[in-house]
Amino acid sequence: MTTEPLLGVPPQQFRLDPPPEEPRRRRLPFSPWHLALMPIAAVMLLPLVWMVAVSLETDAQSHAFPPLLFPKSFQFENYKTAFNAVPFAHFFLNSLLYSLTTVAGNLLFCSLAAYAFARMRFRGSNILFVVFLATLMVPFQVLIIPTFLIVKHLGMVDSVGGLIVPNLCNAFGIFLLRQFFRTLPIELEEAARIDGTSRLGILFKIVLPLSLPALATLGIIQFMWSWNDFLWPLIIINSDTHAPLQLGLSMFQGAHAQHWNLLMAATVMSQLPMLIVFLFAQRWFVQSLAFSGMKQ
Amino acid sequence: MTWAKRALGSEHLAGWAFVAPAVILIGLFGIFPIVWSGVISFQANDLTSPPHGVGFANYRALAKDPAFRTAAKHTLIYTVLFVPISIAGAMAIAVALNRRIRGIRFYRLAVFIPVVTSTVATGIVFLWLLDPTFGLVNWILHGLGLPQQKFLQDPNQALYCIVAMTVWSWLGFDVIIYLAALQGIPRDLLEAAEIDGASKWSSFRTIVVPLLGPATLFLTVWSTINALQLFDEIYVTTRGGPLSSTTVIVYYLYQQAFQFFNGGYGAAIAYVLFVAILIVTVIQLWVGNRRVHYSS
Amino acid sequence: MKRRGIAAFAALVLAAASVAAGCGGSGKSSSSSSSAASTGPSGHVSITLWHGYTDAEQKAINTLASEFNATHKNITVTPHFYGNSDFALQKVLTAIAGGKPPDLAYLYGSWAANIAKSPKTVDLNEFINREKATFNWNDFWPAEREAATVNGKVVGFPALVDNLALVYNKKMFADAGLSPPTPDWTWSDFENAALKLTNPAQKKFGWAYVADGSEDTVWRYWALLWQAGGQILSPDGKKAAFDSPAGVKAMSLIQRLAQAKAIYNDNGNQNYLGLFASNHIGMLFTGPWDLTQIQDGGAAYGVQILPGDQNHQTISGPDNWVMFDNGDARKQASWEFLKWLSSPEIDLKWDILTGALPVRAATLKQPDYRQFLDKYPGVGVWADNLKNATQVRPVIASYPKISSAVGESVVSVLLGKAQPQQALSSASQKTNSILAVPG
Repeated sequence: MTTEPLLGVPPQQFRLDPPPEEPRRRRLPFSPWHLALMPIAAVMLLPLVWMVAVSLETDAQSHAFPPLLFPKSFQFENYKTAFNAVPFAHFFLNSLLYSLTTVAGNLLFCSLAAYAFARMRFRGSNILFVVFLATLMVPFQVLIIPTFLIVKHLGMVDSVGGLIVPNLCNAFGIFLLRQFFRTLPIELEEAARIDGTSRLGILFKIVLPLSLPALATLGIIQFMWSWNDFLWPLIIINSDTHAPLQLGLSMFQGAHAQHWNLLMAATVMSQLPMLIVFLFAQRWFVQSLAFSGMKQ
Repeated sequence: MTWAKRALGSEHLAGWAFVAPAVILIGLFGIFPIVWSGVISFQANDLTSPPHGVGFANYRALAKDPAFRTAAKHTLIYTVLFVPISIAGAMAIAVALNRRIRGIRFYRLAVFIPVVTSTVATGIVFLWLLDPTFGLVNWILHGLGLPQQKFLQDPNQALYCIVAMTVWSWLGFDVIIYLAALQGIPRDLLEAAEIDGASKWSSFRTIVVPLLGPATLFLTVWSTINALQLFDEIYVTTRGGPLSSTTVIVYYLYQQAFQFFNGGYGAAIAYVLFVAILIVTVIQLWVGNRRVHYSS
Repeated sequence: MKRRGIAAFAALVLAAASVAAGCGGSGKSSSSSSSAASTGPSGHVSITLWHGYTDAEQKAINTLASEFNATHKNITVTPHFYGNSDFALQKVLTAIAGGKPPDLAYLYGSWAANIAKSPKTVDLNEFINREKATFNWNDFWPAEREAATVNGKVVGFPALVDNLALVYNKKMFADAGLSPPTPDWTWSDFENAALKLTNPAQKKFGWAYVADGSEDTVWRYWALLWQAGGQILSPDGKKAAFDSPAGVKAMSLIQRLAQAKAIYNDNGNQNYLGLFASNHIGMLFTGPWDLTQIQDGGAAYGVQILPGDQNHQTISGPDNWVMFDNGDARKQASWEFLKWLSSPEIDLKWDILTGALPVRAATLKQPDYRQFLDKYPGVGVWADNLKNATQVRPVIASYPKISSAVGESVVSVLLGKAQPQQALSSASQKTNSILAVPG
């Protein structure tokens, strides 16, 4: 072969092992980086701290102004009350279904399209790419009514399908993945083509395994968008049976005089899955072996 | 080479096959509603009674509308500040988070939390932080002997406060994208530079930053598209005030369409914005494609 | 603008049961509640009612709907919570555009003129005129009827009425050596009290004003304008009249108090509630929707009618049930429900359950009315104050634009960025251009 295998191992045997440990001498019990990261983390966490504090207070305390960051009472039963006040578990499952299917859909359809834009030359691809991007440039408020009419013609008003289908493929994901795919060393793919692997095979066996950080990122972001979506469910869903979480939470929000303690308890509960997804997915923010043995 | 000819010949079909699902989904739920709202922009449409066509009247009115010009000015100021600050900040923080010290997962999570925190909660907390009488920031300023500020109640300061609030909210989003991109930087490149005697800063500047090019381009385009469509954070804090100092284009659109029932005018605003974003994005992509290097 | 709502303890078992039981419920059936088929076998009619009620009100509507369904065997009413009332209009407009409006929807009164333009909105005059013998439309407060009538068309049925009164902090008054407000209080009394209650070093304010530039900001100013003898528009409705000397006088009151730092500018999040509870704000212009929270806050409070100038007029912000046309049978059924809901007996029940004010005069004469007054100390002042709500805001489609212009002028005075005359002139100029556009 004229080119060295650019990994230590052929692509198919690539595994996602935890990266090797840093040399012993760098392992201080207390890294100086903590000094930089702690204040940043503190600033970032302030609203969450407020939310949790309010969620444990009584109703009157939750309206105290300035707010109490250290709750005066620890009404953990607020969580139970909030959970029981609305069909929480039901909303939760609807949101889960909505979020997981849109993540799966985006990962699949955006990968296919992004790969085509990144590596394949076909007539009209540049214009098509810009047309796709253009769909990100119009504020959703303007698109509500036409989108609703389309979903109505498909017979999907007031169903989870009506939530999901318009969000199965987002130009954002195509753009993101295209950028990442283009950073991958093209030699790997060319080698596989010479070996006779189909384009589809290259995508699934080479490109995607090397793009786990990007896929994880897209997954997190799409999950978040679906999970936090409020406006579209508001318009399309009429019945409690199909309502996802954020829509359900609005039951805690009158325009005046809200029970902030219950609202925040419900909000904290509703945001937990997001954080779990993030913790889970950030495992893939790890340098893949493919790049550790690279030679120029 | 027949291989190349065969490959090029079948590329078009394969290319379109790969993008087909995206074309269908985005075409139906992205393009079609956009075209529809374009039609509305040529109507006098109050969203209740049957509309009638008015030709270019909405656009002509827009050209002469001082409130729209002001909204455009605010949007521009906001974007020019928000995009560079959030990208530079995110790059710095991502580099700080790209290491394996104890507790790094916690810091990554902390930085990501604002992205996930509901906009409503963020708005409430910032309104409190910046309250002229009871807010935390003025309390700190008082302690440092600095004069009290009016922040969101001062027409000259409010927009900059919004910049700060949104940078805070969105930093984590950019950070995870940079984190994913950083995984693609071969470690031995940096090690080789270190061996050659380069300082951490110069190897950052000459190796890391250029290799983050594709991610930076992506974030610049994406942040710009979003900054030009700023709405949610304005809605939950200042509602365009005080004295319209934080009225940006999409907020102006929302007022026109949903508070004043000028649906056609709102659609015209959306279209003008759309064209502006399109032009800016195309320019960014063109410049980016000439200066950004993809495959190593 | 009237905004309602408390927070949630929704009896959703009841709601779920209503949804399941109601044969027109928007649940699993693919032909949803607003489909064309309006009567089932033996003339049974199902109607849907969209509302934004939370907490006690949501429980109440579900309880009452069940009661109605039990006593009216051929009609089933299914209440459905559509989310925050602020979004109701968007949702209703989308539903209309999609051909599936509800039968009844709770909509803010300020939207009346706009929803009147929809061909799907029912003019209730057909029912009112037909049933003159048995149904007394005039028993409903004048402010409600006027706010629901657009160009002679009655587009709304009173769902809620309120008004602004003065709520004061008894402890702060006592500490400042002030005697409590009386029904004869003038603006000078009010101003003096506000100044005395203000103490910047202790972060205390005499008065709170909602300063977000929205209708919340504007309608408080209208009350002051009317008290000074002013009008919002000229009698023919073609020009602004609020920049009169009366208007300037009202705005100057605000300016003086703002300059003396006696006003806490609330950003719309009702921080004033927490501050009132912690004895940092002495007086509020507010309505019965805040009553429960004020009580829960724990501060000793009193309620009085607004201080006056030439009169003690107040302003009311009625909200409406709007009926949409889904066929004659459903219209008739919806009307039956509205009549029942607003009958003095049921209206009183609603008021006792939720603390809302009676929507009609006959309710105050109910034998159990005392129960209502006892359950919500202070609410009687607002109920009696309804007779001071003699005027309403212009019920025209362009009102929201006018409100926006005036809101800015009030905020500019609150922030010290403009003089009253100047601020009002600029608002009146904008208003005149708005009014010059036909329709």
